[in-house]
Amino acid sequence: MGRTIKFLRVLARAATALFVALCAAPALAQAPVEVPFYYPVAVGGPITKIIDGYAADFEKDHPSIKLKPIYSGSYQESIAKALTAVKGGDPPVTSILLSTDMYTLIDEDAIVPFDGLIKTDADRKWLASFYPAFMENSQTGGKTWGIPFQRSTVVLYYNKDAFKAAGLDPNHPPGTWKEMTADAEKLTKRDASGKVTQWGVQIPSSGFPYWLFQGLVIENGINLMNAAGTEVYYDKPETVGALQYWVDLVNKYKVHPPGIVDWGTTPKDFLEGRVAMMWTTTGNLTNIRKNAKFDFGVAMLPENKRRGSPTGGGNFYIFKKSTPAQREAAFEFIKWVTQPERAAQWGIETGYVAVRPDAWDTPEMKKYVEGFPAAAVARDQLPFAKAELSTHDNQRVTKALNDGLQAALTGSKSPAAAMKEAQREADRLLRPYR
Amino acid sequence: MSTLRASVNVTPATGRPFLLYESDRASRALETLGAWILGVLWILPLLYAFWAAFHSSADSTHFTLSAPWTLANFVHAWHAAPFARYFLNTVMLVTMVLGAQLVLVTLAAYAFARFEFRGRGVAFALVLVQLMVMPDVLIVENYRTMTALGIKDTILSIGLPYMASAFGIFLLRQTFKTVPRELDEAARVEGCGPLATLWKVYVPLARPTYLAYALVSVSYHWNNFLWPLIITNSVESRPVTVGLQVFSATDQGLDWSIISAATLLSTGPLLIAFLLFQKQFVQSFMRAGIR
Repeated sequence: MGRTIKFLRVLARAATALFVALCAAPALAQAPVEVPFYYPVAVGGPITKIIDGYAADFEKDHPSIKLKPIYSGSYQESIAKALTAVKGGDPPVTSILLSTDMYTLIDEDAIVPFDGLIKTDADRKWLASFYPAFMENSQTGGKTWGIPFQRSTVVLYYNKDAFKAAGLDPNHPPGTWKEMTADAEKLTKRDASGKVTQWGVQIPSSGFPYWLFQGLVIENGINLMNAAGTEVYYDKPETVGALQYWVDLVNKYKVHPPGIVDWGTTPKDFLEGRVAMMWTTTGNLTNIRKNAKFDFGVAMLPENKRRGSPTGGGNFYIFKKSTPAQREAAFEFIKWVTQPERAAQWGIETGYVAVRPDAWDTPEMKKYVEGFPAAAVARDQLPFAKAELSTHDNQRVTKALNDGLQAALTGSKSPAAAMKEAQREADRLLRPYR
Repeated sequence: MSTLRASVNVTPATGRPFLLYESDRASRALETLGAWILGVLWILPLLYAFWAAFHSSADSTHFTLSAPWTLANFVHAWHAAPFARYFLNTVMLVTMVLGAQLVLVTLAAYAFARFEFRGRGVAFALVLVQLMVMPDVLIVENYRTMTALGIKDTILSIGLPYMASAFGIFLLRQTFKTVPRELDEAARVEGCGPLATLWKVYVPLARPTYLAYALVSVSYHWNNFLWPLIITNSVESRPVTVGLQVFSATDQGLDWSIISAATLLSTGPLLIAFLLFQKQFVQSFMRAGIR
């Protein structure tokens, strides 16, 4: 097997050499720089078509660059594909991956920081134009490793008709945990046999419960990790208190469905009127707007000690194994696609939060917000937002928390015990990085 | 089977004929009931997918019989990705893989079953080791090999790692071993060489095994997802499963109607083929001893 491959490899090389020799002469004059570019699809809509359109427009402005957009599945599959390609010695030049993959990519020595590419004052101004909340997940150790592109945050959606029916003011969504509890108690409806027909509130806990939980923790005064990605604070009193509140919504107040609430079907529950308030991503805005048969509102997450929400979503990265010309070309594209007008257009078409303040001042965006004020709630919440949980060995450190959260929500462990165990596991995993 | 069990249940003291008849019927009814329950459980997701695919997403979770039927989901799904091309790719992929597998597997199994050569035991053990290794573990190594060969992003690169199938070799070797030596010898006496013997004696006798193996192979490669996604980049080489993935937009909650429509589209051909050849498949599985 090995010998066959070696032989075939030699053969392939010889063929390539011959081929190159044959066509090098005319091609050398202006070989366009090829930039393979992986992107995941995480929201509905014709995303692949929009991206292909961007690529075509970009190439029209930059004829010397050949951008090759490659659809790479979900976020999880995209990181698998990118890391496989890195190990196989053939990574893309740039890719959109979760902002939380930053430490993983650094540890794998897969990416280069943007600092080497940022040379002019215009570049520096461009880098400073993004919302600081999004940059928290994009910079570490004084370097910029990612550029925000398709970013989101958690907001509260509520059913205004249900509010009216329960005697609540539909224009006054809950502003604090206390108000949310009280509203949820009024909104929870039971039929004659005591079965719940409409829950007050639901916070999804399947897949990545840590993300929504992070909202509660930030509101309770702290974030879950340090900026270097080497410490987590799973067993701090603030964290345990946040989990206690979530568990209380289920067990004490009985206004939140018991057990694990599915992320994927939560919007459907809301649309069907099975729940009156839900916590979920701003990425759902377009979906809810299109399918809600009732009047709905969008609000910032309620505050406790402070206001807050985690950010989420994907960043651009540039891979290490690329030529300087390819890196420059990719950088050129990333700058092009994050211009205010395009950031605004991308936000409107997909429901992601436009990543820089001046995108919200474009005429197109102003018109959109005027017709649909709910779209601006995420923007207004951004000053209070914090980085999404991300550390070295991110997958496993996060999984420790997810397992603890689900154990507490299903009642198999107390919040304090579950968080203590999660902390112990995370400390064990993070020790080598300290 | 059932008669046997029934007659065992009857004690000699009370062994009147009608009891035998009664318990026979009871056990048969029980078996039928069990089969029905399993069958219904198995088909429920498919029935749901069918329901959701033909209704708008607002109606997909209410089973109101009067809800309007629609084909819009199929139209939407079909246009959301170049499915026609993906289908062609998938068909080419499974045909290519199966064709190569049948040739390689037949020759390897014949050698292991009927020829004495040095290192046969070790070689066969190595083949069996391949059965123990999950293909997903080898993704990085396979990726390197495909890059080194310069065939990344082709249909060939999706299929190549699967062509020497350990499962197929093992399965066919067992079948070939059951072929009576006398038939082999008779063919030799008639003047057949080893390859002619293989072609005229072994292959025809192993037909049920081939059919069963083909079904397993085709359905596996029809459904395979992660490896094709990783090794391919362009529409020209990607199979239908990769196209399907566009619909599981997890950030946003799932639109079951569209997903169901796309799922029916992509599994449809396989499902119809199975229904058409159902009888042959079931028989071949009985004979090949895979259940």
